[in-house]
Amino acid sequence: MTYQFTWSILWSGQSGAWLFHGLVTTLELSILGWLLAAFLGILAGALRTTPLAPLKWLATGYVEFFRNVPLLVWMFLCYFGVPPLLPEAMQEWLFEHGAEFSAGVVALGVYHGARFSEVIRSGIQAIPKTQLEAGISTGLTLAQTYRLIILPVAMRLIVPPATNETLNLLKNSSVALTIGVAELTFQTRQIETYTAKAFEALTAGTLIYLSLCLVLSAVMSRVERRVAIPGMIARSQTGDL
Amino acid sequence: MNGNLLAALVGICLLTATGSSLAQPTLEKLDKSGTLMIGTRTGSPPFAFVNKNNEWVGFAIELVERAILPVLGKKLNKPIKLEKKESTPQTRIPLLTSNAVDLIAETMTDTQARRDSVDFSLTYFVTGAQFLVKKGSPIKGIQTIAGRRIAAQQGSTNAKILRERAPTAKLLEFPDQPAAFQALVQGQVQAYTNDGIQLAGLKAKAPKPEDWAVVGEFYSYEPYGMALRKNDSDFRQAVNIGLMDAIASGLYFEIYEKWFGPQGEVPYPLAPETKRFLQMQVVPK
Repeated sequence: MTYQFTWSILWSGQSGAWLFHGLVTTLELSILGWLLAAFLGILAGALRTTPLAPLKWLATGYVEFFRNVPLLVWMFLCYFGVPPLLPEAMQEWLFEHGAEFSAGVVALGVYHGARFSEVIRSGIQAIPKTQLEAGISTGLTLAQTYRLIILPVAMRLIVPPATNETLNLLKNSSVALTIGVAELTFQTRQIETYTAKAFEALTAGTLIYLSLCLVLSAVMSRVERRVAIPGMIARSQTGDL
Repeated sequence: MNGNLLAALVGICLLTATGSSLAQPTLEKLDKSGTLMIGTRTGSPPFAFVNKNNEWVGFAIELVERAILPVLGKKLNKPIKLEKKESTPQTRIPLLTSNAVDLIAETMTDTQARRDSVDFSLTYFVTGAQFLVKKGSPIKGIQTIAGRRIAAQQGSTNAKILRERAPTAKLLEFPDQPAAFQALVQGQVQAYTNDGIQLAGLKAKAPKPEDWAVVGEFYSYEPYGMALRKNDSDFRQAVNIGLMDAIASGLYFEIYEKWFGPQGEVPYPLAPETKRFLQMQVVPK
């Protein structure tokens, strides 16, 4: 294999700027997708644990529908499947204002929202029912009990799997390249096709994703230690809730 | 732990440094395996596509089968089989350099920049870049695309040229032709740019060809060649002889007529200067 390594292509010419723009787009895509996913996840996760049957069915339907289909299919659906159903004027506006980016955010958000909801549901279910009963008996409504007592505790319990899902979301943002979003993986392939140096370009992409994820994990492990509830995660004899 | 990591890194460095000693001439590889692996398209009629009967056929594929395989077979004194793998603008060079395929027979433009990484056979087709638009669109060519949304294939020469010559146009790059065409059909983009012959193929295969128009002067020169690995002169010689023999004997023009003639998949008459150019590539024996 007579391959010449030319690492300088990564910072000479347009490659550096492309990588930077790709990184920014990936972060934008991931952050907006995460916000949507967190909102949907908390809503669906909480609703699945309530005794209210119709809401529970709705949430279960959402979760089963969206997590059992590959993200790639949702991306295509949001970008190619949804616009023809909208009115003409709205379509034109969407296409003029980055439809592919919005489609990417929506697809990421609903897919990971379904996955987040399962993580949050397991956190809620780890809390003894006595907490819920105590809350209701002090006069709070169901919604208030969830908002003020159950969810805050659940959030602290699920930091490790939530971190995992967040990292997944960050990495899955690369799927958006199939609908034309110029995120980081798109840009590494761009560099690869313009310079034909596949190894260097893909190494750059690998290192950037790796650094992003490692930084995120490091931050979240500190968060985990700080919000750990004594007696629940740490194996101490005085298990006081 | 640190010692193991260091050893692994040193090992990887050594492997890549001694990589050049692992190069094997393609003819030797063919001799051992008896199969020529080519990278080709699945959605670029009529060069390489899957037809109504689910067969993977095309002009480029037939050229390889009828003009190049026999020459290889004669040289190695054994019949050589053909196996096809799908390639796209982003994957074709890596497929070649990683030895997954031996020849790229699709719609790859021969350019000086690409010759840094791969070698090309003779030019076997000539076209240029144009635009595919909905009939009646105000876009008439590269001068009229300022501010419009244009689709292109990621990694194509067209995207690169458009970036330089029409910086105000909003370029949306898709991984493959079907996605880009779908975006044009639905209105996400107002034009799709690619080599003229590929656009003619898309238009001919569309459900209603009369809805589409291929517009604009050629804004680039796109000579198609078959790509192969560098430093592989014997294989390149065999491929070129195959093409030259086909042009000299008329087989090339027979295959051309089949795919691009009036009864062909995509009517695209051969310009006299192109025919002359092809014939002049045939050097004396």
